[in-house]
Amino acid sequence: MNPPILHTKALTKRYGHHTALTDVTLTLPTGSIVGLVGPNGAGKSTLLALTSGLIRPTSGTIEVLGSPPAADAAQLARVGFVAQDTPVYAALTVDEHLRMGRRLNPHWDARLAADRIRQIGLDPTKKAGRLSGGQKAQLALTIAAAKRPELLIFDEPVAALDPLARRAFLQNLMEFVADLDVSVILSSHLLSDVERVCDHLIVLAESRVQIAGDTETLIAGHHRLVGPRGDLPDLPAGVEVISADHTERQTTLIVRNTGPDTPRALRETPNLDLEDMVLTYLHRAGRITGETTTPVEATR
Amino acid sequence: MIWLTLRQFRIQSLIGAAAIAATAIYLAVLGTTIRTVYDRNVTDCTSACDEGAARQLIADQFGLTLMLLGGFLIAVPALIGAFWGAPMITRELETGTHRLVWNQSVTRRRWLTIKLAVGGGASVITVGALSLMLTWAAHPYDTFVDDRFTPLTFAARNLAPLGYAALAFVVGLTVGLLTRRTLAAMAITLVALIAFQVLMANMVRPNMFEPETDTVTVAEAREAGRIDMLGFGPDGGTVQGYTVPGAWVLTDAAEVVDGEGNTISHEQLSACESDGTTMPDECLTSMGAQFTIEYQPGDRYWTFQWIELGLALALTAILIGVAFWKIPRGLN
Repeated sequence: MNPPILHTKALTKRYGHHTALTDVTLTLPTGSIVGLVGPNGAGKSTLLALTSGLIRPTSGTIEVLGSPPAADAAQLARVGFVAQDTPVYAALTVDEHLRMGRRLNPHWDARLAADRIRQIGLDPTKKAGRLSGGQKAQLALTIAAAKRPELLIFDEPVAALDPLARRAFLQNLMEFVADLDVSVILSSHLLSDVERVCDHLIVLAESRVQIAGDTETLIAGHHRLVGPRGDLPDLPAGVEVISADHTERQTTLIVRNTGPDTPRALRETPNLDLEDMVLTYLHRAGRITGETTTPVEATR
Repeated sequence: MIWLTLRQFRIQSLIGAAAIAATAIYLAVLGTTIRTVYDRNVTDCTSACDEGAARQLIADQFGLTLMLLGGFLIAVPALIGAFWGAPMITRELETGTHRLVWNQSVTRRRWLTIKLAVGGGASVITVGALSLMLTWAAHPYDTFVDDRFTPLTFAARNLAPLGYAALAFVVGLTVGLLTRRTLAAMAITLVALIAFQVLMANMVRPNMFEPETDTVTVAEAREAGRIDMLGFGPDGGTVQGYTVPGAWVLTDAAEVVDGEGNTISHEQLSACESDGTTMPDECLTSMGAQFTIEYQPGDRYWTFQWIELGLALALTAILIGVAFWKIPRGLN
């Protein structure tokens, strides 16, 4: 059994008085394509920076592929990380970036790198500083992928791209991720970026994990109950109310069933789609902390 | 990693090489000229040779130039610290590329080691080359005029500049790592290195060893032509700018006393001169006038040079330790 790609216990990161990440306990099974969604400032980049070992936790533990992040060169070789804004060396050419990758990574796949650069249509002699945002993202992705890691992490790789380039980038990403047989963690403030490609979802808001799990299980476990105001059935054990909405005439409950079987009371009720589910959790996170979170960003 | 660091350092190393080349040409010309003048007035002098006059001539002709060159050689490490050392890491942090390079299969410790080796090595080589060339060019002047302890000479010859070069680069790099901002790091580096030079020259170096003391009669000093100025005021006389060949005289102004160690007053001197025929110096000689100076003897020169190098390298090592302590903590 392979160790989980990410295993954290009560992971917390504080910057002075500001808490960027609170009490995150997660286990992500190997082979997953994980979507990490949440509004800006929710702590997504902090979680990914901790995973890549760029920063260290204030408290709690974190293991990536069974080892502490960035512990040594061998561990670094197992994880590919494409940081937000996909940084590249402006003064170096595309070719020089590949050369850097070859010299700094023991399992460098020169063929994959060359093929991708050709496929994207990048001029190898062009300075990276003169590439467009999308091309830079592609170059950074190529370097991370040709390293042949076991886990690839992308922090908002498409944030700087226009909607069309965004879709093409993600399409391309998923195609070659399938070829590489690699686990992936991908963050975005837009659910639409990740929902098509991910089989796992983590919703992060207000520095906490609101919900995490296999997307199909999550969808199957969430139900919408609608009834006359105040007249709702008693909920069976293992069913948790996530939100309750009351209008003058009726009450709408969003519930989560955490048991293994769907109780009879919920069998006839519709499941939520992923977007409604995420919105519900973001709303709840905003209510709990007493702040008004505008969940606009979670919509398409 | 070495390839990447060298590639990133390409522009800086080209500038450094150009500076060395330009300085080499200039110093070759200067060194040749100094040798020509020295040979004409000293080595090849056959008649009416006056070594004191020749020393004065050479000091007048080349003193200012060599002093300015000394200042330049002290400024170079500071510039290296500010323009090579400080941006070495801050530029990565400011452009975010540390997130690219730190995620290749190279630990941050190794990354830092290579940066220190390449940048520090280039700094020491650059300053070492300049120091070697200036030491060569100024050699006849330095041995003849024999004023090797003057701050702008001492810190610009032989070994001392090597230590400054290593220190300057590492100050820049470490301050950059701590401040994370290029401009702030450059400013702090410049101020720190200037403060270091001032402190070394004025506080540390003169007090490194117990100085020797020596009592000299005015007559002897006059004979040797080693008094810059002898003045009398209401409070008595002082000798200023007395030099001992090869040594570092720490006493700026020495009080003139008579053979018994009593202060010679202005009135005594005036009384002696009052007959109109006796010269002041003859009066002083007749009184047995003398003064006491403190100095560091010339044979301590190399000890001072090694200590200067050692101190700078010790500080360098401490700062490298700070950098290695800080780097795994990175952006926390």
